[in-house]
Amino acid sequence: MKQIKEVSTRLEIAKKKIADNHEINKGSNAASLGKALKISTELVAAVAVGVTIGFLLDNWFGTKPILIICFFFMGVAAGIINVFRSAKKMQKNYKD
Amino acid sequence: MSLNPMHQFEVYKIGPEININGINLSFTNASLFMAISATLIILFLFLGTKKKLLVPSKIQLITEMSYTFVAKMINDTAGSSAKSFFPFIFTLFMFILFCNMVGMLPYSFTVTSHIIVTFILASIVFVGVTIIGFAKHGIKYLELFVPKGVPLVLLPLIVIIEVISYLSRPVSLSVRLFANMMAGHTMLKVFGGFVISLGLLGGWLPLGFSVALTGLEILVAFLQAYVFAILTCIYLNDALNLHH
Repeated sequence: MKQIKEVSTRLEIAKKKIADNHEINKGSNAASLGKALKISTELVAAVAVGVTIGFLLDNWFGTKPILIICFFFMGVAAGIINVFRSAKKMQKNYKD
Repeated sequence: MSLNPMHQFEVYKIGPEININGINLSFTNASLFMAISATLIILFLFLGTKKKLLVPSKIQLITEMSYTFVAKMINDTAGSSAKSFFPFIFTLFMFILFCNMVGMLPYSFTVTSHIIVTFILASIVFVGVTIIGFAKHGIKYLELFVPKGVPLVLLPLIVIIEVISYLSRPVSLSVRLFANMMAGHTMLKVFGGFVISLGLLGGWLPLGFSVALTGLEILVAFLQAYVFAILTCIYLNDALNLHH
């Protein structure tokens, strides 16, 4: 009985240690690097998709420069929304 | 030619040329290294699960760790309803991880440094997630493009922006993996070229850089596989639970 109690106490201590380590690791370099890479590509990808859609629609309707300009700006907006959303998600994760 | 940093990304065919209906289906070095990665994964998991010891051996420990790592990731980001997608995400994660890691070996070929490979992987995720979303919610899945509390005047603009944002997912997913792998390997090769061209006198500094960059590249190889898998989980979560 005494042995079981001892083991469970040691387990508790070990679990606490793991939890503490987890806290420290939250802001570690690797995770931050991943987040930074994620955000930068998100902004660029949305602009690229916007421009591509604009280019295709322009070719289709024959309205050469108008739609590509419109969709470029909408792509920028979509990119900023992407970045804003993932930043908000990170903030929420960090608080938990 | 060996000093050309882009030479390592060249795809060439191995064995006879196979042409079916004008589509070139020859076995290339890219296919070879994909096959090697897949074989290594099967071997690794087979060896890891062959002897189920209570006190695990090293390889069993690594196998179990990779299992719990992915299972926990799915549970944390997509919730318990995404449990049934574990095989897919585990396969995706392991495949990208092994392709990246096999690419780190000298004289090997990095499959994930070609955008077509990563784009196909991302497209599978994108199309799959879209189908799952429509299968689960029907036409209501389109609500994803209509955020709540937007004035009616702005709605058409917002919907277009949301659609672009949704379509940018596979692009950002694939470009991220491809760009990281290709940039890292080019950089390694450039520094390796400096070592040779500067010779015994000045080559030590780029050699040090090369060693450090190799470490960084191994980190990036793991990280990109992780990011790819976790974003798949996030997109799956959007499709399954449909809320912003």
